[in-house]
Amino acid sequence: MRRQIWALLTGVALLAALWPAGAMGQARSPMTFWSWRGEDRAFYEGMIKKFEAQNPGVSIQFQTFKPTEYNTVLSAAMQAGKGPDIVHLRAYGALQPFARPEFLVPLDDKVPELKTFARQWLDGARSQADRKVYGVPFAVQALVIFYNKKLLRQAGVEAPRPAWTWDQFLAALRTLKDHSITPLANGGKEGWTLEVAMGVLGPNFYGGTNFYEAVTRGQTTFKSPQFTGALAKLAEIRPYMPQGFMGVSYTDMQQLFINEQAAMFVGGIWELGYFLSQNASLDIGIMPGPVARPGDTPWISSYDDGNYGVNAKTPHMAEALKFIRFTATREWGQAFTDQLKQISAVPGVEVRDPLLKQVVGWMRHATPYIMLVGFRWKNPTGSELIQNDLQGLFAGRLTPQQVGEDVTRGLASWFAPFKGQ
Amino acid sequence: MTPPTGAAGEGRRPGVVAAAALAQTLLAANALLVLLPIGFMVLSSLKATREIFQRPFALPVVPRWQNYAEVWGAAHFAVYFRNSLIVTVASMALILVTGTLAAYALGRYRFRGNDLIFLFFLSGIMVPIRLAIIPLFIMMRDLRLLDTVWSLILVYAASGLPSAIFILTGFFRTLPPELDNAARIDGAGELGILITVLLPLVRPALAIVTVYNIIPIWNDFFFPLVFIHQDRLKTLPLGLTVFFGEFQTNWALLFAGLTLAAAPVLALYVVMSQQFIKGLTAGAIKG
Amino acid sequence: MAGVAVGTRARSAPRRVPYRIARGLWIAAFLAPALLLFSAFVAYPIMTAMAYSLYRWDGIVRGGWAGTANFRRLFGQYPYSERMLVAFWHNAWTFVLTMIIQNGLGMLFATLLAAGGWGARVYRAIFFMPVVLSLVVVGFLWELFLNPVWGAVNKLLALAGLGALARPWLGDPHTALVTLILVNAWRWVGFPTIVFLAGIQAIPDEYLEAARLDGAGSGAIFRRIVLPLLAPQVNIIVILTFIGAFNWFELPYVMQGVTGEPYHATDVLGLLFYRAAFGAVDTGNPDVGVGSAIAVVMFALILLTSGLGALYLRQREAEA
Repeated sequence: MRRQIWALLTGVALLAALWPAGAMGQARSPMTFWSWRGEDRAFYEGMIKKFEAQNPGVSIQFQTFKPTEYNTVLSAAMQAGKGPDIVHLRAYGALQPFARPEFLVPLDDKVPELKTFARQWLDGARSQADRKVYGVPFAVQALVIFYNKKLLRQAGVEAPRPAWTWDQFLAALRTLKDHSITPLANGGKEGWTLEVAMGVLGPNFYGGTNFYEAVTRGQTTFKSPQFTGALAKLAEIRPYMPQGFMGVSYTDMQQLFINEQAAMFVGGIWELGYFLSQNASLDIGIMPGPVARPGDTPWISSYDDGNYGVNAKTPHMAEALKFIRFTATREWGQAFTDQLKQISAVPGVEVRDPLLKQVVGWMRHATPYIMLVGFRWKNPTGSELIQNDLQGLFAGRLTPQQVGEDVTRGLASWFAPFKGQ
Repeated sequence: MTPPTGAAGEGRRPGVVAAAALAQTLLAANALLVLLPIGFMVLSSLKATREIFQRPFALPVVPRWQNYAEVWGAAHFAVYFRNSLIVTVASMALILVTGTLAAYALGRYRFRGNDLIFLFFLSGIMVPIRLAIIPLFIMMRDLRLLDTVWSLILVYAASGLPSAIFILTGFFRTLPPELDNAARIDGAGELGILITVLLPLVRPALAIVTVYNIIPIWNDFFFPLVFIHQDRLKTLPLGLTVFFGEFQTNWALLFAGLTLAAAPVLALYVVMSQQFIKGLTAGAIKG
Repeated sequence: MAGVAVGTRARSAPRRVPYRIARGLWIAAFLAPALLLFSAFVAYPIMTAMAYSLYRWDGIVRGGWAGTANFRRLFGQYPYSERMLVAFWHNAWTFVLTMIIQNGLGMLFATLLAAGGWGARVYRAIFFMPVVLSLVVVGFLWELFLNPVWGAVNKLLALAGLGALARPWLGDPHTALVTLILVNAWRWVGFPTIVFLAGIQAIPDEYLEAARLDGAGSGAIFRRIVLPLLAPQVNIIVILTFIGAFNWFELPYVMQGVTGEPYHATDVLGLLFYRAAFGAVDTGNPDVGVGSAIAVVMFALILLTSGLGALYLRQREAEA
């Protein structure tokens, strides 16, 4: 019996050793491009093909990594000087560990196209230490509410024209619920989706950019009634979330909306392409977060989603920079917006999708997505704090005041103006 | 459910029958609890992502066998499978050979520093090895082992050693010392004693060590993710991570891939479980 | 290597000198491969990483000497100080519950299977299967089963007339950790089952027979004969469970995210360490110094408890 096992094991080992590696082809790849956006592979590979056709002899390999481990992989590789030639980078605070000349090439002088980019998006690619720009912003995100037109009609709810007031919004949610339709797809199992919900529903109550300016200058804190008041408003949506919403994850939220089991989805504009690709018959409308008083202009939380950068140690500097300049062109931006149904950060791109076009219009009244843009520089980040505290709020463990206090207290460890507050 | 046939050999009293029935219920319930999820994995692999969530517990409307074809094409499955096999078998072999030798020394010989060396090995499972990923990466770079299966084999083998030595040393210690002495008087060498006398007796421990280490090695995607960047060297779990996006995960394809990855291991286990359990219970720890 | 030095000064019974030297060389030769492998690819990298806790860090770039600053931040600065304590209790709780539920069930199953009976061989094979599954499968399937909207668990409760018990198991801060521990037990229960089963089957039948003839009940047989003879197996399982519970990372990470959601209900030391050392996707930044400091504390804690425990058990086994 024992001999059989050994025979089997040896057989397996031998088989494994002798098994031909298969015809993988020796695809010679002088340049690598690392990314965490596995879902956008087709777009990137298409654009790379275009670039390779225009630049004979250049070849780029697009490699994606599991998003949750991307930072770890990139950190290890960059520290060992083994990073890719072209790097997909996150923005703001998460960019900082890499945004230094020993890791990345400062692009201010290398990519003249950047001069035309909006300053607010370039800030997402800027180093806090030397104020240089280390990447080309690739997408701009806006936080909005998606709604299912068909379900709203079924409940006799009239679609909002530009924006609802908070009372109209709650009334609509109530009507939907009375018609046995789950009004909101949103859940609380993953704290970041609650932070997004705050980004959609909060600014119209805490005062958008005015509050942002004040709090980032340290003139007020998150304990102020403006902010805690906005949190209290946010908590009013709890009765209209799915049953057991604290156990509803991000994937669940998407599926609830795609399968028309919930009427609205408070989220980011990046969902649009995915929603439509999964259910083409979905009749989607988009609206901004409801306003406090009739006639107010709604604030739209926005941010630079991430950037493309060049490894300072690349042996293919000229080609890599050429490719990076390509990502800053209108051609790239237009293809990005058309194919992925997301908003490119490249100026002058024509948005053809009517829904997206609407959102771009609202973004004239954009406000920074508060924790990401303003408070992710050091640990504990504002996002880390608010995500868990919002779960506390939605699970009934914390009051809005306690959330404000905890966020302020946590930030005080590195944000000097909050010290002693 | 089939009625239990007199468990424990001599149960004829009604109380014993009732106990046996209860035992059957418990065992059957746990078996069901184990098998159902595996069934769901297979079921989900034949659906579209939307369908998985729309009707999670129903049979697929139309079985999507093309999921498997797509996974087989998108991921270079045969190659990944081969790499996983090489890495797992090689690291396991290293763990068993070096671990047995070290445990033999620690478990059968008294010498100064024995406890210290034992503790030194044991300290290796006290912190997550992920902590050391950056020093390890730099070391692999300097040894020119990045992008080779050796980077994985060495790390898996080294990090599997502490538990292996812990388990094996314990078993070696339970064997009566007369065994070695008798063999030694018969003129057997130190290595000979280990191989001919003791090894057959610690087979159960070797089986436990294998079980404890082999599956985590087979399923790990973290070290390959960091060390391996060439497609032709990827392991199965790493190959499957391509289905995870930031905002979209292709659950249908992922499940087809996971089923494919689990199938050979499950099959091997089912085929070998009798032998394997015999190995576990063989020999004597009757001390 | 260290083995040579210690080997030659063996304090065993007086023998011929050549044998003593040969013996020392043998010991060194047996230990050398494992020591080499382990030192190079585990001990050295881990010590290097732990030394990171003594430096200042600017993102992922090492700065100057920091002394104990990272440790002071860990224990003194909100919210690290509080998270550390919460995570520690969660680990301790995980150990206790896993011992009771997983290993208790393992012992029960092993006893039942050892008795033979219908289908024992089949069950034996089945119980071990979840260990084989990838964690991604385990996490996803249980999230699906426990899902409050379409999950089977709440539906079954409703069918049984216990609808009032339905809750978002993984999303409710009260139930999330216990649920996670149960999923973990589901996955691993086959391991203690098989280890105990092997131990029970190795007990000579004569012992049990003799006890039965003396009129001992099955409870007494278990307590007086089976359990003491299972001591080596129990020791192994206890130590491995302890280390596993305090090193717990994979399952909470896959199912509850790197911050131990919801509201830190499933935060454990492993998660705390990982998100400090590497940053939390894009919500937090790497804080390598504090991350390494957490690892040092974990190391000290587990080494002290389980290392001393293991040594004690080892000595006892040797004396037995």
